[in-house]
Amino acid sequence: MKAIKISVNKQMDGYTFSIAPSARLLIKSWFPDAHPANNIFVAYDTKSNFELYYDKLESYIYPALLGVNNRNDLNKKVDEIQFVDTHTGKILHAHKVIL
Amino acid sequence: MKKNYHLYLGKAGHLTVMSEFLTRGWNVAIPEVDVGDDIFVVQDDNGTLRRVQVKTSTSTQRQNGFSGQFNVPLKQLRNMANIPVHYVFIVRNSDLWTKPVIIRQDYLLDYLQNDSYTKDRIACSGLDLSKYISDFNDFPFIEE
Repeated sequence: MKAIKISVNKQMDGYTFSIAPSARLLIKSWFPDAHPANNIFVAYDTKSNFELYYDKLESYIYPALLGVNNRNDLNKKVDEIQFVDTHTGKILHAHKVIL
Repeated sequence: MKKNYHLYLGKAGHLTVMSEFLTRGWNVAIPEVDVGDDIFVVQDDNGTLRRVQVKTSTSTQRQNGFSGQFNVPLKQLRNMANIPVHYVFIVRNSDLWTKPVIIRQDYLLDYLQNDSYTKDRIACSGLDLSKYISDFNDFPFIEE
């Protein structure tokens, strides 16, 4: 099973979501037109506001972080997106890919 | 060797690295309160900020050159903020500073996570970091 790990670092004012450079290279090898980001910062109030009106933030973070426009293309390559706490190593959220 | 010499060497390393950034047109500052970052490196005209951690070492002579030893806490490496830390490693060898090895936090963490390490020791011996020697890509010369 292929899983992409997204690191989640809780800071004083919000979350920083990031992926490892090796994961960025992997994404680029799969999708040459993709533009993976180093990290995305989301303030705590932004997250809670967003989730009040829309959905779990993580579902929107991973396509933006991985820089892949077409989720279906990504879903063909990856089985699961894991959001991992950088300090504890615990999986905070796992996004199962359903084809 | 003088007592607490490592403190003197560490400060000398900081100042050496700071002077290098200054020659490239980046401004530098030492935080008033030491909570992790050694140097703030700033592009004056647009406020671009880079956080820099300087690691210095004395050298140990080897058969084919020399080596330096550095400690980087894994907890610190994993603490990925929206502005990542650039680690600058320099070694004092034969009364001269070596060229700095500059590695951004996420790249260094990636190397360590893909390498073998134990709680007490991280072995980077087999790792070729030559491409990071004087890698000032994130600190280009500011001319105007």
